[in-house]
Amino acid sequence: MTWTDDLRRLLARLRRGRPAESGPEALTCQEAAERIFEWLDGELDPELADQVGSHLETCARCYPRLRFERAFREALTRATKEQGAPDGLEERVLQSLRNTGFSEN
Amino acid sequence: MRRVTSGTSRDRTFREEALPQLDAIYRFALRLTRDRDRAEDLTQDTFLRAYQSWETFTPGTRVKSWLFTICRNLFLRREERSRRHREIVSEVKEEDPRRISREPGIFATARQHDPEGAFWREIVDDEVVRAIENLPEEFREAVVLSDVEDLSYNEIAEVLELPVGTVKSRLFRGRKRLQEELYEYAVSSGIVPDERSREIREEDANQ
Repeated sequence: MTWTDDLRRLLARLRRGRPAESGPEALTCQEAAERIFEWLDGELDPELADQVGSHLETCARCYPRLRFERAFREALTRATKEQGAPDGLEERVLQSLRNTGFSEN
Repeated sequence: MRRVTSGTSRDRTFREEALPQLDAIYRFALRLTRDRDRAEDLTQDTFLRAYQSWETFTPGTRVKSWLFTICRNLFLRREERSRRHREIVSEVKEEDPRRISREPGIFATARQHDPEGAFWREIVDDEVVRAIENLPEEFREAVVLSDVEDLSYNEIAEVLELPVGTVKSRLFRGRKRLQEELYEYAVSSGIVPDERSREIREEDANQ
């Protein structure tokens, strides 16, 4: 994921050239930290997301925590994502559905 | 994709929309029950119930959330039968989600030797799964629906029948608890050095 992180940082830095509301200076570290999970979860409205994102990705104090939280989330996804239904469960479910009139074709 | 040649449109849409969620429903059922056999039963019953109530599903909304809701309701009804009441859940105090986000938690400890959290990658998958299963139920549900199944806060709020603020509080606290537990495992298995004992040793040396 490192290269995507780097790309995001680069884009965020470029965005800093833009005046007004974006850039790390738009929010304090505390304000950005308060929104870190919502930002990672993609739950902020675009304007606030932009402010929080450019702060977290360009602030020397906040960026390590961002990477830390991201690495944690990736570990969760990796550990659980591959787990699927065991062999035979699909057939068992289909059989029980057929018994109540479900038609497969 | 298989070509559909016949069958009623009701069955066809159920097969095309609901059945592909089998893996996700089984995973969720497994996290709820923490038992493979019970998870299989719960998955089967979820699809049966969903098929019987397919008319009540609102097209355009996420079928996955709808199935999770059914799955959880079936699970809770069974739990209530065997446990009578769910004492743990009623004791949960909600906290301000922003305050929880602000606090660095394990990051404050880990940053000294691994500020980017590389050690998360070294923790074996089974251990991560075990830690998730060890979370109290009210945290576990929120963490699984968000971090594993990628539901939005609003979707989770619907599945769990909770206000969005409560979902955030439980989700963020659940993540923190999970980090604490996994960090402890990482220390005990030697993946990361024990900073706390090093601090104590340094204090002793300075005296």
